[in-house]
Parts: sequence; C-alpha cells; structure tokens
Amino acid sequence: MSHDPDDEVPAGAAVPVDMILNGARRHADVPTNTMLLSLLRNEFGLTGVRGSCERGVCGVCTVLLDGKPVASCSLFAFDVDGATVETIEGQRDGDALGPVQQAFAECGGFQCGYCTPGMIILTTALLRSEAKPNRDEIRRWIGSNICRCTGYEMIMESVERAAETLAAESGEPGEDPDTEGEEERS
Amino acid sequence: MTEVVGHNAPRRDARAKVTGSARYGYDVALPGMLHAKVLRSPHAHARVVSIDTSAADALDGVAAVLTRDRLGAMMTTFGSLIKDQPVVAVDTVRYVGDVVAAVAAVDERTALAALDLIDVTYELLPTVADIAEALAENAPELFPEEPPGFTPHYGPGAHATLRPARNVSFEYGHTTGSPDAWDDCDHIFTDTFHFPRMHHMHLEPYVSVSTAAADRLEVWTSNQMPFQLRQELARLFSVAESVVRVHGEYIGGGFGGKSNCRTEHIGLRLSQLAGGRPVRFCMTLEEAFLTISQHKATLTLKTGIKADGTFVARQSTVLLDAGAYSEYSPFVAEKAGYRMPGAYRWQHIDTTCWTVHTNTVPAGAFRGFGGTQATWANERQLDLIAQRLGIDPFDLRCRNMLDLGEQTVPGERPIDSDLKLGLDLVADAIRYHARPHVPGRGIGIAMACKDGGGMNKLAQARVKIDVNGNVYLAAGLTEMGQGGHSALSQIAADVLGTEPARVRFTDVDTDYSPFDSGTNSSSGIVVTGRAVAEAAERARRQVLEFAAESLDLPVEQLDLRDWQVIADGVGHPLPPMIQQVYGGTGFEFSAEGQYKAAFSSETPFETQAAFWEIGWAAAEVKVDVETGKVDVLQLVISGDAGKVINHLGARGQDEGAAVMGLGQALFEELRYEGTDLLNGEALNYRVPMADDLPASFVSITQEQGHGSGPFGSKGLGEGGMLPVPPAIAAAIADAVGVQLTELPMTPERVLDAIDRRHVTI
Repeated sequence: MSHDPDDEVPAGAAVPVDMILNGARRHADVPTNTMLLSLLRNEFGLTGVRGSCERGVCGVCTVLLDGKPVASCSLFAFDVDGATVETIEGQRDGDALGPVQQAFAECGGFQCGYCTPGMIILTTALLRSEAKPNRDEIRRWIGSNICRCTGYEMIMESVERAAETLAAESGEPGEDPDTEGEEERS
Repeated sequence: MTEVVGHNAPRRDARAKVTGSARYGYDVALPGMLHAKVLRSPHAHARVVSIDTSAADALDGVAAVLTRDRLGAMMTTFGSLIKDQPVVAVDTVRYVGDVVAAVAAVDERTALAALDLIDVTYELLPTVADIAEALAENAPELFPEEPPGFTPHYGPGAHATLRPARNVSFEYGHTTGSPDAWDDCDHIFTDTFHFPRMHHMHLEPYVSVSTAAADRLEVWTSNQMPFQLRQELARLFSVAESVVRVHGEYIGGGFGGKSNCRTEHIGLRLSQLAGGRPVRFCMTLEEAFLTISQHKATLTLKTGIKADGTFVARQSTVLLDAGAYSEYSPFVAEKAGYRMPGAYRWQHIDTTCWTVHTNTVPAGAFRGFGGTQATWANERQLDLIAQRLGIDPFDLRCRNMLDLGEQTVPGERPIDSDLKLGLDLVADAIRYHARPHVPGRGIGIAMACKDGGGMNKLAQARVKIDVNGNVYLAAGLTEMGQGGHSALSQIAADVLGTEPARVRFTDVDTDYSPFDSGTNSSSGIVVTGRAVAEAAERARRQVLEFAAESLDLPVEQLDLRDWQVIADGVGHPLPPMIQQVYGGTGFEFSAEGQYKAAFSSETPFETQAAFWEIGWAAAEVKVDVETGKVDVLQLVISGDAGKVINHLGARGQDEGAAVMGLGQALFEELRYEGTDLLNGEALNYRVPMADDLPASFVSITQEQGHGSGPFGSKGLGEGGMLPVPPAIAAAIADAVGVQLTELPMTPERVLDAIDRRHVTI
C-alpha cells in the first residue's frame, strides 16, 4: 500500500487508486471517504461482494488484499492503491466453478448464500497457506466469519472437500477420503 | 416414484450463490434511484411536540422528507391483528429507535445529512422497561387510546381478548378438559421460567426498492411474505391489491424477521413524495436491531401429577414482552399458548398468554414462534419434577409422551412421529443410559413438539411444460436459504419423471405467482409442496391424456419419463406428437394445484396442523465449578423429515436451527438496561461462530414416513432449535446438580446457581 498518512488530501476529494483486481490492472479516482466495498460494487460492478454489519465483524464482505482476508466494508478504497485485490468474481475458472466454489456447491456449504462469497474467499486464503488443514484449523479460520444459517458443519465439510480437490489437482499422493481429517496432524 | 426425491441433488441455487451472482433485495438497483434513511427516536417514551424539516427540505440532493404531516392519504399505522405501529411517529414515540421521519436523497450520505437537520422537540413521558414494570399498578400506559384491532374466531376451548389489562394488547386463552382433574393430582408444582430475546441477525439487512405511480405501487424486496405484504401495503395506501406488485428476490436470511412491512411502506411513500422516483431503503444492521426481535417471556407453569409421575393437569401463564408495538405478537401469543402442553398427554389444560407492551424494540415472528419459549418452560419443569420425584427424566418423558397417532386435542391432526423412537435415538447416540457419573460432567435430553405448517395456511402452485419438456414451476414460496425452491423443484420433477435441472422455479411476483400465505412455520414442504405435487400430477395427467389420444391407447397404460410417453416399454417422444397437433411453435401444458389445511370445527384454530414438527436433542457438558463456564462436549440433534426430499437441505435446516438454539442456550441475548439497548450491533451482539460448536455435533435426520406432505414428508427448520436449550440445561443439572430456569446459561448464572446450591446444602 503506497498511501502515506502524511499526505494532505481534503475530505471527499478524489485520489487515484491503481490495483490488480482479480488479475487485471484497474484504475479509479475515488473520494477519500469511499470504502473498498463501495468501490468494488459501485465502480467495478463486483456485486458478489456485499455488505452486512459494515463494522468489520461479520465477514460477509471479505476480499483478499495481497492474499490476506480483509473486510472490504471497513477499509478505505485509497488504502488498496498498489495492492492486489481478489473477490468472489475472481474465483471462477472461465465458465466453470473454481474448486472451492465447486466444493461449497456440492457439500451444501451454504443456505441463504449471503455469507457464502466471504466464506469461499476465506477458504481460498486458508488453503493457500495450509493445503491440508485439520478440523481445528478450519474451525478457527472459519470462526472469523458469521453464518447464521448452516450451523457451520457443512461449511467445514466444504472446506475439507476443497482441500481434497486441490490436493488431487496438484498431483499430491492420493488420500483415502474416508480417513481424511484424522490422520497424524497434531 | 421417488426417482428424484430423496436423492442427494445439489441445490438449484448453488451456482448463483457460490459465484456471488444471486440477486438479493440488497442488489436491486433502478435508474435514477434515490436512497432513504430514517430518523429514529433517541427517547424510549415521549410526546412529539414539533418537527421542523425546513432545513432538511432545503438541502441539496434531498428529494423527499416524510413526517406525520406528509402521510397524505396513507393510513398512519400498520400491524397484524392490531394496527398500532405508526409508519412515522404521530403523537408519541414508544421506544429508542422508533421511526420519526424519513428522507429520500441522491445518496445515503445526503439522506443522513438531511436527518441531522430535522429538528424534533420531545416531551418525555415515563417509561416501562420490562413486563413487571408494565403490569405494575399505576404503570404509565403506552396506548391510552385503544388502537384498531380485532380478535379472530376460534373453535371450542379457545378465546382471545383485546386489552385484558393495562399495557396488555392481547390475551389468548385455551382450555381443554375439566378443572376437576386437579382433584386427581397427588402433587402440584408451580415454577416460573425466564426466556430472553434474541435478534434474528440475518446477514442481509432489511432492504427494498420501491416505485410509486398513480396506478402501480411496486416493490422489490427481501420479504418472506410477498402476498401478506401486498395486502398490508394495499390497506396502508387505500388501493386495490392489484395496484401493488411485490417482487420476491433471494432473501439473505430471514428467520421470521422479514415478515410484514419493514422498509417497503416508507420507501413507497417517499417515492410518491419524490414524484415516483425509485427509492432504495437499506437499513444498517444496527437499525435491524431496532426494528424487530424475538419475544422475551416469563412463563409460570402449575402442573398436577399423580404419584407415579402421570401428568394430569397443567395451568400455564405466559407473559410475552411484545415491545412497543403489537406486530405479530397476537399470533405468537396464540402459538406460545397452544404449544404449552408440549409433547405430552393431559386431562386438563388451561393456558393464558398475554402480550405485554414495554418501551423496547417490538417483538415479532422468530424461528420457533412461541414454541421456543414454551419448550424451554415445559421441558425444564419436567426435569424439575423428575428430580423432585426421583424419577429419571427419560422415564418421565416416556410415561407421558403422546403416542404416534394420538391427538393432542379432539379434532387435531394425530401425532405423526413416534416420539419414543426419536428420544431413544438421541439418548442412545450420546449413551444417556450408560453415562458415567463424573463430577462436573453431565448428559441431558429434551424434546419439542410444535404444530407445523402455520395456521389455516393456503398455497397454490402452477406447473407449465413446454413443447420440449422444460418445466416452469410457479409458487409463492420465497427462497430465504431453506432450500424450498430446490425441494419443490425436486417434487415436481419426481412426479413428472424428469430431471430437477429441467425444472425452472419462476421468480416470485405477486402479479404472476400463485398465491401463498407466506414463507413461515416450516410450511414449504407440506403446504406449498402439496400444492406443487397436485399441480404436477394434474399436468402429468394432461400430458398422458393428450398422448393417449395421439397414440390411441388407454391412458392407464401410459407412463411419463424423460419427456417420452412410455407404452408397453416403448418410448414415444412427445415433441413431434405435440407439433403434429399444435404446429411448430408448440403448446404448453398447464395445471394448477392447491393445498389448504383441513377445516376442523373442534380445534382451537378451526384448522388442523399441517403436520407436527418434532425435535429431539441430547447434550453432554462439562461445567467448570470455579468459573461457571459450560462447555458443550457433544450435541446430538434429530428431526423427523417424514421422507427426505433433499438431504443437504434437510440436514442443513436441522443443524442451523440447532446452532441457533446453542446460542440461545449459552450466550445470545439482546441486553437492555432499562429501556436502553446495550448490545445492538454486530461487535457486541454475540451469535454462534464456528469456534462455538461442540467438539462433537451430530444431526440425525429421521424418515419415519408418517408425514402429510408429498411422499410422506414433513417440514423442518424450527424443530432442531427448540430442544437444545433444555437439553443443555438438563446436562448442567446432571453435571453439577443445579437446575437453571433462565436463559442464557452464562457463566455468571451457572456460578450463581452453584453458589446458591452450596448455601442451601
């Protein structure tokens, strides 16, 4: 992030923001009081990113900023200047679902679906840092976002399925899915 | 058939939801759209002396300002049986958060700036913070003048009264059997239980877009009850219902909250004032906390039993905290009252339920709808009685539970689950009977029984099939996460011998969708489902009759599969047959279906329950006697789907409900200090997170096969929540010997109970 806190910019004045958004270079001039959530939805039409608590608590609006999950409702848009931003819209592989999306769809890791983009983004970040998370790691990681519908079990199963799929895709030695999750990890 | 039903089909909304492309009410945008914000009362009870909007009116970018003086021909109040909630404050504000004025402007920021410019003068009035204060002698009265309202007609044994006491808007009463039954009792126990209130905290806020023209009031909204909303909006604006059009979008969670007018009535009036421009009104989460809640309750149960533990008579007094306005409280009172007998057999029942006004946020529909409150008191008192008589709570339940096929009251639908079977299932899964007695660890069980499928509910459905066998399923059930659209599509596909992927669930739109009284009461599978099954069966019959004529074969010999008519094992593709008769563009088969719960002159609500929703739970806890902290080690829950339509959906409904119950049991609570809400925001209002799950959480979906829905199905979605708090309370009692009577069972409360136990011993 290139923002210098000593820069004097009048409130509401537009500042230039350049970023890599879902793999493409994007530019916008945004008022300093614009939140990232608003920039993504209103300027770039990425409406899979939605708001809920708008206090950085619930995780509905989660996006990846330089690979780390952040609440886009509580981050100023100017703060992402020079950064890489990934949203749910970047998960698709052309017309096909990405592996995490596919896992959530198959395992029923959603109900109303409002938290789902955030959960999928969160899972993506987890699986990049830990390819084979155990149940406790998944629980702690997912524990930063709220889902009011599912009771979380089917979300955690979706994460496990996504990990299996990604492992299989990357040519890891095959694992018996039945014993997955319990092997010597702790 | 059941080629499709019961198979593990992915939900039809999966792709839209995992890609983020699903359109919610939150996503609706129209050209030239304005944005609304409302001014809320900072006072719990005050007279509104004056409102000066001149500065707000003059602010650049403001298109409309709504106050009591600008309602025009609009009715001033809305509600359910009692219309006591002002669209905007007229004379009085009755809780912190009550709506005083509204602004539509070019953006939310401008609307908020305009609200700051509205000058309101209040004259403070004395307040009532809770049920006890509201019922106290000489308590300040929230409604000195009686608001418009009425009581429904009931069957034998039931009655309702408006304003039975000061600050009480509604009384529901229900009596069966003779009070002489008290004479048969060897023991009579009276206990009081307290139940806090939760907020729904659906993640999608209350949001709608509204447009008003002379002959069309149109809203795009996240609302569970499009037809009920149409009716209430038509009444508010004094127009024919056909003038109002409600579009039902995907709903980002509801749990009862998205019923009745939330944003739509204000959005429409602002649109009228702004010359018909579209108005989006999206509340913040903090505003949702100030809009609606579950009912806090105080329940006193007087229960008479025989020496051997047989239940005889039960008198229940239920006081529901309705908050400032009646909202759905009369309906919740009916159901809380009706559900007080629980899953048990009685000679005499006498229930009185009051909705008590306080200067707090209004309470309304919430998952469980009075059943959660009733189950807490009912199951808890059973455990208290079991302890007093030295009977195992499991045995006391078995002695008194209703049998499969037994009626709760004459004329009512017989119980359609084997309650013992389910209780054995959860008890065995957690090894209840073999539990070791380890200090600080305990196991408890509970069960719940609620009439499911709503009251007197009606649903209609329409099935169209085009020339190539694509199915268009139209019904008024909204998709709020429960998977209703997927399940209904599977039911139609199964009847028509086709793949669920060939079924399109058409958008919910009150102009075109068949009528449905609302998405609530776990009613989708049974009520809307039977309408859908009937429509699909009739459409199938049409297809076969058409083919019988074309093939010159008796219709009885034909079957429909993959859009071929099967005769003697030979498939005849339908498209050429249809085009031969109707030409190249073809034809659409179209049929309708309907379901309404059976009329019953004998039951209190003059209708049978559509089905019985049963929930069973078993919990194992570890209690830290030094801190009072309760760790749930195991939670086993079970519901009876009758017949599962969609496994993912069924399991998800039960598990989601159970985790809501877990929050209610241990920590979730809307906290008030006097009339001030202390935790009305996401950071302070604690809901269950993944970290809160028990180490072992097992859900068992039973398929007992006795349901009245398609293929023997029943509804799910509420039953999983109800037994969880009492099961955990029973486990705490087993662990440390204290019987809690108030939720949530926080460390403070548990520790306090433990300390008191030590004092009395």
